[in-house]
Amino acid sequence: MPRAPRNILLSLGGITAIALLATACSTPEAAGTEPTAGGTLVYASGDAEPVCLDPHVGGNYPQALISTQYLESLVSKNKDGEVLPWLATEWEESEDGLSWDFSIRDDVNFTDGTPLNAEAVKANIEHLKDPATASSTGYLAVGKIDTMDVVDEFTLRLNLSTPDSGLLDSFSQPWVAIESPTALQRSQEENCASPVGTGPFVVDEWVKQDHVTLIRNEEYNSAPQDAAHDGTAWLDSIKWRFIPDSASRYAALQTGDVDVIDNAQPDSIAASAAADTGITELNAPRPGASNRIELNSGKAPFNDERVREAFIRSADVNDGIQSLFFGTAERSYSVLSSVETYGLSAPEYFDVDLDAANTLLDEAGWTERDSDGYRVKDGQRLSLDFPISTNQSIPAEQSLFEQIQATTKLAGFEVTLHPLDLSSWYGMLFTNDYNLVSAPYTKVGPDVLRILYHSDAIVPAPSGYYANLAQLSDPELDRLLTEASEVSDPTLRGELYDQAQEIVLGGYYVLPLYDQQNHYLYGSAVNGLRALPTVFTPTFYDTWLSR
Amino acid sequence: MKVLAWLLARVGGGVFVLWAVATLIFFGLRMIPGDPAQALLGGPGSNASQEALDQVRRDYGLDQPVMVQYLVMLGRLATGQFGTSYSLKVGVAELIGEQFWGTLLLTVLSLTLAWLLALGLATWASRGGRAGRMVGSGMEIVAAAVPHFWLASLFILLFSTTLHWLPPISVPGPLGLVLPVFTLAIPLAGFLGQVMRESLADALESPFALSARARGESETGVRWRHAIRHAALPGISLSGWAFGSLLSGAVVVETIFARPGLGRTLLNAVALRDIPVVTGVALVSALAFIVVTTATDAIDRIADPRLRAS
Repeated sequence: MPRAPRNILLSLGGITAIALLATACSTPEAAGTEPTAGGTLVYASGDAEPVCLDPHVGGNYPQALISTQYLESLVSKNKDGEVLPWLATEWEESEDGLSWDFSIRDDVNFTDGTPLNAEAVKANIEHLKDPATASSTGYLAVGKIDTMDVVDEFTLRLNLSTPDSGLLDSFSQPWVAIESPTALQRSQEENCASPVGTGPFVVDEWVKQDHVTLIRNEEYNSAPQDAAHDGTAWLDSIKWRFIPDSASRYAALQTGDVDVIDNAQPDSIAASAAADTGITELNAPRPGASNRIELNSGKAPFNDERVREAFIRSADVNDGIQSLFFGTAERSYSVLSSVETYGLSAPEYFDVDLDAANTLLDEAGWTERDSDGYRVKDGQRLSLDFPISTNQSIPAEQSLFEQIQATTKLAGFEVTLHPLDLSSWYGMLFTNDYNLVSAPYTKVGPDVLRILYHSDAIVPAPSGYYANLAQLSDPELDRLLTEASEVSDPTLRGELYDQAQEIVLGGYYVLPLYDQQNHYLYGSAVNGLRALPTVFTPTFYDTWLSR
Repeated sequence: MKVLAWLLARVGGGVFVLWAVATLIFFGLRMIPGDPAQALLGGPGSNASQEALDQVRRDYGLDQPVMVQYLVMLGRLATGQFGTSYSLKVGVAELIGEQFWGTLLLTVLSLTLAWLLALGLATWASRGGRAGRMVGSGMEIVAAAVPHFWLASLFILLFSTTLHWLPPISVPGPLGLVLPVFTLAIPLAGFLGQVMRESLADALESPFALSARARGESETGVRWRHAIRHAALPGISLSGWAFGSLLSGAVVVETIFARPGLGRTLLNAVALRDIPVVTGVALVSALAFIVVTTATDAIDRIADPRLRAS
């Protein structure tokens, strides 16, 4: 490529040529901006290896990461959070909000040759709702869909049990992506190993614990509106590797054995930014809830608002974030991710004030201190259990929890940290055996607030997962969240969500920390990488390699 | 006759060990808190409904009483059925079959390299007199004490990111094996070397070494033809144990170097409470351990006739 412009420049001659040449020299990448097709990109994921490549089954972030490459959703979102048509071209909500008509693209085929149409979409929603699928995230997303009518070949009507203002948000998620109905009829084992979609890549091979090979879909024609080009992807294939150790993952990026890594740790990000490594960072915070510590208000001592406030007033978070995250994470004062338009940030509730904390604890009756400096009431120490999932909290975050433990001790709190593997961690939550907990939750849109803080989400333990880990039970909050989930008017919706978040933050149920950390690092050969603005998984459709 | 009795005793002992391992794992995984059904439904960030949880519990028999589940499992194992992985939905035998050879290659190469390093160090140190023995012993103690994860990180920093000689992650071909094998071999070599050096020193001062020297045998000849056999005996006996320690070391090494294998399979399976996989991997490891210790005992009996007499 560089040769062509130079020949032209030489023939021009004179000052113009020199000026142009100077411009060309000062921006060397200008000559290489023309994408080149071909090559295999190696991606290294630090997230768990999915147990199933079909994100309808279960439904977590590792599945979203990889399925973004081969499955597509009904709608997408652009950088500003506006909903874009994707496999659905248009949609219309009925006056009463109880039915939606979706027009489906009529020119798209799944990679097994099955045509995309209204029947295919219907089959997907049925698949998500079928208990045998064992869908979790996708199941919730389509929870309000009652019945479906195929109006004509490319029009599907959804009849809802109650209006759902979050329906388009839900449909933008990779866990509700559309798969070939023919492929869905295979056994679950088969479909997990090779799900079939309409995306720019196709699942070719899965070598367990090593890699998944994705190859280009040569028939691809359904790029989202905000993509940089049309037609097929540039890359021939992607080798999707699983490298659990963060230091090895970063080393492999440095040596060029891999091109892109996810779950980049704060020290690696800082190191790659400080040195001339040719490594670039893509910071793409996840939507939905921020990373936060929930205070279990369902039992003592946090059933007393004064004790909750005292804890939050004595927890010094900012210094810990500064030192442990090397400036790669920004403090959040909101329960929603900063990419959510309806997020309310309220720093005033989170000023550190040890005197205020001490006064509050005195008022709440925790007046004595034992020989270790912890507060005592009626012979009981002010002890808090904090189970930590080592599968979900990175080392820097675990150190931050230790800092919080140290600073709240000054006010007289005894925080016991329990680092646990995933199953044991769930075990402590289900048996209500916790006072503090940090649990990630990724979902598109503010309706995540209803999942996390509506009192319906306090299912009596030990029956299973409940998302309302703060055990917040407030009828006024329930009313606001339910109403907000049913009104589509943006202004009214915003007001309702503001009031709801005011209750959650002002009641000291939650200590927000930062956005869910989602940092990608990539080598100098990688061009045109972006994160899809739905759940900020990378998409390699526009990506090409210069090497 | 004696050999047959010995073999039968070993087989009987082996079966007992396998039963004990299966039982310990079954009840051990149920004692620690945690719900396999929840982990099965995607774990972090996913929000399983009650219906989905119930369905999974029914599908996997998790709604049955614990003793029933235990007996069902024993019955299956007795007939050679390892069951299906909760999380990966594939046959456990098939899964282990895929992952076994990678780990076997890793452990066998590491054991071989550890032997070479230990023998090399022991003979080298025995040559250097008192000072040589002290340096050798110091090196062995350090080598035996370094944790695998630390050694692996050091190797990656030195040979991958700084010198660019070797890949930090597994790649096809022998190149990707170098760092994992050295990581596993060095601590083991330190341990084996400590044991061997003592008996080597004893052997070099024993009457038969003296008589060999008197016959005009060179010092190297004495070392390699006579003394090494004695030095190797405790090493052979310990190789069965060493093999077991390599299998546990594989968990760390396979994770750090992103190698597929039984160690990583086990780690993931424990995190997900994937009981059939944990049981299967543990049984296969125990079986491998039993086979290797039996083999080393047999080699011992051949190498040292005194054992056969007793």
